[in-house]
Amino acid sequence: MKIDKTQELLNLASELRWQVGEGFHDTLIEGIYADAADIAQKVEIKQGSVPKFSFERQLDQILTSKRFGFPIMILVLSIILWLTIQGANYPSGLLSTLFLEIIYPFLKSLSSQVGLPWWMDGFLLDGVYLALGWVISVMLPPMAIFFPLFTLLEDFGYLPRVAFNLDSAFKRSGAHGKQALTMSMGWGCNAAGVIATRIIDSPRERLIAIITNNFSLCNGRWPTQILIATIFIGALVPDHFSTLLSTLAVILVALLGVGFTFLSSWMLSRTVLKGEVSTFALELPPYRPPRIWSTLYTSLIDRTLIVLWRAMVFAAPAGAVIWLISNIPIGDQSMANQTIDWMDGFGLFFGLNGVILLAYMVAIPANEIVIPTILMLTVAHLDLLGVGVGDGVMFELDSAAQTGEILRAGGWTLLTGINLMLFSLLHNPCSTTIFTIYQETKSWKWTTIASVMPIVFGFIVTFIVAQLWGLFA
Amino acid sequence: MTLSFIFLNSTLKAILLAILGLPNPTFYMSLFLMLLAASYLLVKNRISLQFIWNPTAAKKSLIEDVLKQLYHVELSQRTTDLKMLSGALDVPLKRTVRVIESMHKQNLITSEDAHLALTNDGRSYALKIIRIHRLWEKYLSERTGFDKSLWHDLAEAKEHQLTAAQANELYESLGRPRFDPHGDPIPTELGEIIEIISTPLASLGVNTIAKIVHIEDEPKSIYRQIIKKKLHIGSHIKIIATNNLKIIFESEGQIFEFSTVVASNINALALNEQDIYEQNKIRLSALNVGETATITGISSECRGANRRRLLDLGFIKGTPLEMEYAGPNQNPRAYKIRNTLIALRNDQADLILIEKK
Amino acid sequence: MTELKACDSCALNNTAQLQKLGINVDNTDFVVALAGNPNTGKSTVFNALTGLKQHTGNWPGKTVTRAEGGYSYENKKIKLIDLPGTYSLLSTSQDEEIARNFILFGKPDVTIIVVDAARIERNLNLVLQILEITDRAVLCLNLMDESKRHGIDIDDRTLSKELGIPVVKCSAIKKEGIPELLKTIHQVATREIICQPHRISGLSTSAQKMVEELEARVKQHYPALPNSRWIAMRLLDGDQHIIDALKNGEFETAISL
Ligand SMILES: Nc1nc2c(ncn2[C@@H]2O[C@H](COP(=O)(O)OP(=O)(O)O)[C@@H](O)[C@H]2O)c(=O)[nH]1
Ligand SMILES: [Mg+2]
Repeated sequence: MKIDKTQELLNLASELRWQVGEGFHDTLIEGIYADAADIAQKVEIKQGSVPKFSFERQLDQILTSKRFGFPIMILVLSIILWLTIQGANYPSGLLSTLFLEIIYPFLKSLSSQVGLPWWMDGFLLDGVYLALGWVISVMLPPMAIFFPLFTLLEDFGYLPRVAFNLDSAFKRSGAHGKQALTMSMGWGCNAAGVIATRIIDSPRERLIAIITNNFSLCNGRWPTQILIATIFIGALVPDHFSTLLSTLAVILVALLGVGFTFLSSWMLSRTVLKGEVSTFALELPPYRPPRIWSTLYTSLIDRTLIVLWRAMVFAAPAGAVIWLISNIPIGDQSMANQTIDWMDGFGLFFGLNGVILLAYMVAIPANEIVIPTILMLTVAHLDLLGVGVGDGVMFELDSAAQTGEILRAGGWTLLTGINLMLFSLLHNPCSTTIFTIYQETKSWKWTTIASVMPIVFGFIVTFIVAQLWGLFA
Repeated sequence: MTLSFIFLNSTLKAILLAILGLPNPTFYMSLFLMLLAASYLLVKNRISLQFIWNPTAAKKSLIEDVLKQLYHVELSQRTTDLKMLSGALDVPLKRTVRVIESMHKQNLITSEDAHLALTNDGRSYALKIIRIHRLWEKYLSERTGFDKSLWHDLAEAKEHQLTAAQANELYESLGRPRFDPHGDPIPTELGEIIEIISTPLASLGVNTIAKIVHIEDEPKSIYRQIIKKKLHIGSHIKIIATNNLKIIFESEGQIFEFSTVVASNINALALNEQDIYEQNKIRLSALNVGETATITGISSECRGANRRRLLDLGFIKGTPLEMEYAGPNQNPRAYKIRNTLIALRNDQADLILIEKK
Repeated sequence: MTELKACDSCALNNTAQLQKLGINVDNTDFVVALAGNPNTGKSTVFNALTGLKQHTGNWPGKTVTRAEGGYSYENKKIKLIDLPGTYSLLSTSQDEEIARNFILFGKPDVTIIVVDAARIERNLNLVLQILEITDRAVLCLNLMDESKRHGIDIDDRTLSKELGIPVVKCSAIKKEGIPELLKTIHQVATREIICQPHRISGLSTSAQKMVEELEARVKQHYPALPNSRWIAMRLLDGDQHIIDALKNGEFETAISL
C-alpha cells in the first residue's frame, strides 16, 4: 500500500520533470536568488560611500602580484620552517632529558626494587615506555610551534591567497591550489596534512591531496635527514663547508618530495582518479585580525594533541614489538638478527641493508623512532660491546660522529646514506597517517593506493640509484 | 610453531639466495621492463583478448557493433557490404562473415545483392544499443569527472554491458534526458527517436545567425580539434565568410576559422530574427581587471557538479560582477560578485557569458 | 548595544541563566542546530554559547563533520550542533548532505542560521532554502562589526518581517548580541514565538504551477509532512537522495518521531 503511494507520487514527479525539461535546477536557483535580491534591497542600508581603494584591496594586490606574490610566500614559509626546526631543538632536548635520562632510570630502579621479572621490565620500560618517550620528545615541540604559526596565517586570511597564487602550478598536474597548503601542513605532520585536505571541496583534487601528502617530508623525518646528511654528505667536504652541503642535501630531498607530489598528482589524475568529479571555486575571504590566544589554544588542542595522541597509540605497541624481536631467540640468534641476515642481500640490491628494512618495518607507527631502532639493531647485530644499552633498547648518541662510526662499522657507505635519505622520503606513510587516510576517505582502495604507491616509488628510485652507483663507482 | 617458522625461513632464504645468486642485476631490470611491456600490451588489447576468455560476450559485442554500424549507414542513406563493414569495424573479414551468418539466422539483418540492411528487429535492437550509449554519455557528463574526449570510448564499452532494465533505471535517475551531451536525441524505451532538423555549418550562408545543436564525436581527431577551440552546443554563431575551403564565423566575442572538413562535423540550427542574438555577449574570461559586466548565462557545456557550484555561488543571469585581479599567471582570476571575492579558473570563465557594461 | 555589552560579562559567565555545558549533553530538552554559509562565524557562535573551543578559521570549509556541545538556559538543557558550512542545500555534496539530513530528519527544535551581514544577498540563498525545510529558525546576523566598518547596516525589523523569523544582530567574536540570541532561541524553542517563514516566490509561473501540482500530491500522501513544497521541488529537480528517502520510508519514520 505504502509502496504504491510512493510509486504513484514518483511517477507523477517523473512525468512533470519531463515537462519542465532539464533546466529546472537553474530555474529554481534563479528563483531563489530573485527573492534574495528583492529582500536584500529592502533591508540593506548603505552608510556613506565605501572607499574604492581600501586597505584590503591594496593588500590583495600586493600579495597576489607577479613581483611580490612568490617572494613573500617563500619568505613566510622559510620563516615558519626555520622557527620550527630551530625553536624545537631546545624543548626537544629538555623533554628527552626528562623522559630518557631522568624518568627512565628512575623507572628502571623502581622496577628492580619491586622485582619485576626481566621480560616484563624489558617489555614495558625498554619497549613501550622508550618508544613513547621518543615519540613525544621528538614530535611534540615542532608540532606545537608549527601548527599555531600556520593557524595564525589561516586566521588572518593569507592562506587562500597562497592557494590562489599557486593554483596554476597545481592545475597542470590536475590538482587544486589549496593542495599547496595541505602539502605545507604535511611538512609538520602528514596525518595533520591529510586532515587539512577537508578544505578542498572537489572530490578528485581532495583525493589527490590525500594520497600524495606523504611526499611532504614530515617533522619525524627531518631529524633523520639532517643526521644522515651530516654523517655521510657533510663528510665529503672540508669541515667549514659541511653544514652548508648537508643542509643543501636535505633541502634537495624535500624538493624532490615536492617533485614527486606533482608527478604522482599528475599520474593519479590521469589514471585511477580521472573519473572522479572535479570542480573549482576558491573563495577569497576578507582579511581578519587573528586572535592570538584562542588560536594558540585551539591549534594545540585540535591539531597537535590529537595527532600526538594518535601517534602514541600506535608507537606503544611498536616499542613492544621492537623489544620482543630483539629478545626472542630462534635457534642461537634473536629474531631480529635472523631477519636482518635474511633481508640483507635484498636490501643491498637497493643500496640499503637488512637493518634499515627491518627498522622501517617495525617503526611503521612513527618515523621518529627509525634512527634509534637502526642504531639498536646495528649494535645488536654486530654484537658491539660497550656501545648501546642492551638488546631491544633503543638509544641515540650525542654526537653525529659517534653515530657515524657505528653505522660505518655496520657496513654503511655513502650510497647507503643517500639511499636511506631517499627511502626515508619515499616509503609508506606512518600508521597514524594510514589510519587518518582511512578515516578521511572511508575507502580501503584509496588507503591502499596511498600506502603502496610511495614505497613502490622508493624501491624504484633506490634501485636505480644503486645500479647507477654500481656502474660508475 | 618454531619448527615451521624455521622451515619457512630457510625456504625463503634459499629462494632468495638462489635469486640473488644470479649473475647480473641488469637481468632483473630487463625482467621488470618486460613484465611492464607485457602488461601494457594486455591492457591495450583487452578487446581482442576477450575472444579468449569470454567468447560469448565478445560475439554479442560484435553483433551489436554491426547493428549500430548498419543503423548509421541507413540513416545517412548509404549502403554497405561485407567488405566495407569489416573495414569500418576494423574486424577481420573471416570473423565478420561468421557473425553476419549468425545474424541472418537470428533474423536481425537481410541482404540484397551483397548489400546488407537491417530488419525491423535489427533496427529496434540497434536503437536499444544507441539508447544505452547515449544515456551513458549523458551519465558520464553529468555525474563523473571524465574528460569529454573519453566519453565516447567509455560508452562504447558500456553499451554492451547494461541490460534494458538498468538502462531504464539510469534514464530515470538522470531525470529523463532527451538529448545526449553531443546534442543527439536519445531513443525512447520503445525505440522512438526524435529527428532533429539541422544543417551542417558549411552550408549556412553568410550573415546567418544560428545555434550549434550537434557536434559529431567521430572521427576523434576532428572532434578533438573542435573541443579544443571551446565551441559547444548551444553557442550562438554568426557566419562571417565561407568558401570551398574554409568557413569563418563569430561566437561569444571570438572569431573562429575551420576547414570545411571540420565544419561538416558541426550542425547548427538557423535562428529567426526574433530569436535574440546578443552581439556583445562575450566570455567572462575576456573581462579585464577593473571592468564590470552582467552575467547573461552559463553555457550548457558547464554541467553537473560544476554548474551547480557556480549557481550556488551566485553566478546567475542578470548578476553584476567585477573583475578584481588576476593571479601571478593570469589564471585563476578573482571576481567580485555579490560583495564576495571568488576566484575561477579561465576554462571555467570561458563557460560563463557576460555583457560588458 | 552598550547595555547588552555590560550584561555580557555577567550574564554569560556567572548567573544561573546561562550555564555552559561543554560536551556534557545527555538528556537535553531541546536540540538546536547551527547552519549557514562557510566562514560566517558559526563555530564562533557555537563556542560563545557552549564555552567549547571548536576550531574556527578564516577559511571557507573548516567544519566538515558536525560538532556537538551544550548549554543550559532558564533550566532548559540545550544540545547545540555545529553543522558544516554550505552555500546551498541543493547540490548534494557531502557537506550539504550532512547539513540537510540533519535539518530534515534530525528535526532540531530550532535552527540558528548564521549569516554574514555584509553579504546578505548571497547568504539569503541558503536562508530561503532552509526556511523551506523548517519553520522554526532564528537568523543570527553576525559580523555586524565588520559590516559596519564597510558601511553596511541592516534593517533587522524589515528583514524579520520579510523572512517571518526573529532576527538577532551579533558580533560573535566580541560576544555582542549573544544574550539576545540565547533569549530568542529559548522563545522559539518554547513556542513563545511562532515563525511564519518566507516561501520562495521567484519561480516562473509555469514552474510554480508544476510545483503546486506536485505539492498537492505530496500533501495528499503525506499529510503530516511540514515541508511538502520543498519535497515537491526536490522531486522536480530529480534529487536522487530524496527519491530514495521516500522509497525507504525515511520520511514516515521522521514524522512519527
Ligand atoms: N570581526 C569579526 N570576526 C568574526 C566574527 N565572528 C567570527 N569571526 C571570524 O570569522 C572567521 C570565521 O569564523 P568561524 O567561526 O570559523 O566560521 P564558520 O566557518 O562559519 O564556522 C574567524 O576568523 C572568526 O574569527 C565577528 O562577529 N566579527
Ligand atoms: Mg566552522
